[in-house]
Amino acid sequence: MHPSALSRAGFLGYGLLILAFLYLPLVAVGFASISKARYLTFPIRRYDTGWYAEAVASDTVQTLLILSLKVAGLVTVISMVVGFFGALAFARYHWRFRGLFQKLILLPIFFPQAVLGLALLMWFNALGVVPSWHTAVVAHLVWISPIATLIIAIRAYSFDPTLEEAARDMGCSTIQILRDITIPLLMPGVISAGLFAFLLSWGNFPLSLFTTGADSTLPEWLYAKMVSGYSPLVPTVGILTVLASVALVAVGLLVPAVLRRWRGGGAG
Amino acid sequence: MTNKTVLEIAGLHKRFGDFTALHSLDLKVRDGEFLAIVGPSGSGKTTLIRLFVGMDEPTDGTIWLRGKRIDMVPANKRPTCMVFQSLALFPHMTVGRNIEFPLKIQGVGKDQRHARALELLDLLRLPRAYYNRRVHQCSGGERQRIALARALAFDPDILFFDEPLSALDYRLRKTLEKELKDLHVRTGKTFVYITHSLEEAMAMSDRIAIMRAGRFEQVAPADEIYNRPISRFVAEFMGEVNLFSVRADEGGGVLAEGMDLTPDVGPRLGLAAAETGTLMVRPENVWFVGAGNGRGGDMMARGHLRGELNLGSRFQYEVESETGQRLTVETSREGRHDGPLGEPVTLAWSLDRCHLIQGE
Amino acid sequence: MDRLNSRLGALAATPMLVLLGLTFLVPMLVVAAFSVMPPKVFDLWHWPDVSAYGEILRQGYWKSLAWSLGMALASTAILFVICWPLAYAMAKVYRRFTLVLTIGVVMTLFVSENIRLFGWVLTLMKGGLIEGYVRHWTGIGFDGLLYNVPVIIFGLVYVYLPFMLFPLAQGIAMVPDDARQAAADLGATRKRILWEIDLPLAAPGIVVGCLLTFVLAAGAIAESKLLGGQAVIVIADEVETAFTYGQNWPLGSALAMVLIAIVGAIAVVGVTRVDLDALMGRRR
Repeated sequence: MHPSALSRAGFLGYGLLILAFLYLPLVAVGFASISKARYLTFPIRRYDTGWYAEAVASDTVQTLLILSLKVAGLVTVISMVVGFFGALAFARYHWRFRGLFQKLILLPIFFPQAVLGLALLMWFNALGVVPSWHTAVVAHLVWISPIATLIIAIRAYSFDPTLEEAARDMGCSTIQILRDITIPLLMPGVISAGLFAFLLSWGNFPLSLFTTGADSTLPEWLYAKMVSGYSPLVPTVGILTVLASVALVAVGLLVPAVLRRWRGGGAG
Repeated sequence: MTNKTVLEIAGLHKRFGDFTALHSLDLKVRDGEFLAIVGPSGSGKTTLIRLFVGMDEPTDGTIWLRGKRIDMVPANKRPTCMVFQSLALFPHMTVGRNIEFPLKIQGVGKDQRHARALELLDLLRLPRAYYNRRVHQCSGGERQRIALARALAFDPDILFFDEPLSALDYRLRKTLEKELKDLHVRTGKTFVYITHSLEEAMAMSDRIAIMRAGRFEQVAPADEIYNRPISRFVAEFMGEVNLFSVRADEGGGVLAEGMDLTPDVGPRLGLAAAETGTLMVRPENVWFVGAGNGRGGDMMARGHLRGELNLGSRFQYEVESETGQRLTVETSREGRHDGPLGEPVTLAWSLDRCHLIQGE
Repeated sequence: MDRLNSRLGALAATPMLVLLGLTFLVPMLVVAAFSVMPPKVFDLWHWPDVSAYGEILRQGYWKSLAWSLGMALASTAILFVICWPLAYAMAKVYRRFTLVLTIGVVMTLFVSENIRLFGWVLTLMKGGLIEGYVRHWTGIGFDGLLYNVPVIIFGLVYVYLPFMLFPLAQGIAMVPDDARQAAADLGATRKRILWEIDLPLAAPGIVVGCLLTFVLAAGAIAESKLLGGQAVIVIADEVETAFTYGQNWPLGSALAMVLIAIVGAIAVVGVTRVDLDALMGRRR
């Protein structure tokens, strides 16, 4: 029943092929970002990194960057908190409406994001709220906090409930249990949920489209430039946002490993 | 049981990277016998059974089934079948569909399949109403029987068992051991049963193969393994045992530290001059000397009583001999030894209850 | 412990319920309310009127809906075929490569979908990565590969691959190895094992993967706009147009309601049939 070396190699090749398929367009954007020509054609004749200097110096890009960071940062913090409790209700506690709650959490993920954005736009309008980046945070939360919940829930499922019971047996109050047992044990899940929340918000476009009002996030600006009035800054800024995500993921993957080694060294 | 060989392996070798799991094994399984393969975990018994049913391929060596080579035949083409440790009942199928599964694969018609499944439910003493039950609605013992029924539906040449009873409680295990033995007689099939429990092997099998670190240590009927183990390992693996290192001197006398021996021990043991060996005696063959039941024996040892353990039907005692060796004695309830811990005692046993393990 | 469990559960669910109530359920009701308003109004203080739904039937919006659903169906089917072997390998074959692949695929989710689609535009357009180099090397040029229906489906397959892959892999991981081995032992061929064991036991993952892909693809908009040009107008695009250029909120709401009803019905039916606890790795 063990797959032979040949089929193992075949599967590996297939996996690499899929990865190549997923990353090919980014390679194209990468090449475009270092082409000197204002109107891009392949093969690229002259390479130049001038667009990067221009992008970094641009006031527009800086404003967009700060706004995108603010939105993603707020979405991350709120998703982590709401998602933490949501995951407990989703996976840990056996309460009456748990099944219903689980389905409700999944619904927004299944919804077309553009429609979600429009629905929120009408709702804000009815409330008399003027759309700005604040409302975009709300829009992102509808879609991202359920995902954060699911990620933490995976951790909560593998969590042994007798640990909490043992703590209660030893006289801990609900708050103490939360602080000393539940939060530390779920922390890895909460952190990965935060990472996901930040990155999903950072890259999100369909939810922002209708809910930012006069403000604009980076992906929105990129889209606007793509459909009307191509700018050679588009691939450059695109690649910069990708690099920012990669850097954050790398930090997210490395920091726990380093911490573990450091702690392990300290203990030994 | 006949003397015909149904399954034969020769030079069967299995390596995983640097680790050799099986060292060139040879074995013949007789048609219709109940063979237990016993060994501690890591001895290679599970690897062996996986090679038998085709879930792994041997590094070297051959397997013949009724004279046909099968070692490179994939699992689904082999006329062998295994009852898994986890039973591996298909959770998405009813009891009936589980039992019918091999028949469906063989292309047996629906009515015939149904009829055969009901027959098998009868054979395993499961109510026919279970046909439409879900597997997860059945108890542990019932699942065991369903797995057996499914394996029998396949109608294999040999039925393999990978410790299927190990997860059950004691009473249920005893009941199923009896049923399995009975089923073996009724079906006349060859059973090869893997277990780490000697008790289970003794209770059911015609022959036992003891495995240790990828080799067969001894393959023999249960009584022989118990009374005449080939090595210290087998002797110790087969329950409580007292072992003494012995050595024959030039004159033919036998020396064993801390023991009083009758003069004719040497010749009766059959130990040649200057040879060494291990003398084995089972705790139930040792008795206390003195106080009523106290006749002496061919061999005696003095020591102090260190512990008493109530085993229910029997009592077990621990005695520390004068040379510091721990000895175990077992008595019936009637023959219970009465005395405080720490008191000096003398133990005796007769030579014809001893077994000499040569060379070790 | 039961009463405590129940109280803590309700308490822990509260923040999420408040959030989703105010930002998901109520807005849906607002859409529903707007969909029965007379044309071109921007508030809800009018007599209900189903003219917007009549408009949908008369103006041939069903074509956009059919295109959206058809392309979603096609991309779901293609994704299932593409992802099954990969998901199988992730769950049963690869060892460390599963982690590499997971990180590699998840990373793409963090890149804005319009940047990735823009990358395909650069790759497939006339003078793009493919055509440009082919012309450079062979001297034979051809029209770009963009602006048709297959390329939209291609874009959907590309963007929603992770949403099929991960649930499938999770589903296949739920198939116990010994059930597959037992089936082989009982004589089942590879095909038979796939059919009798793998597919039924991985069903929860399959259902979630297919539903998620279908539903997201049905509501997708960027693929058809960026890759498809004006080849076809998808339903989500119609919704957007009604809101922005059309300035007809009731029409947009009615169109959105149709999409929501279809997508919601599929999602609810599918999700209620799946044991989420088991799929997400509950301890047994």
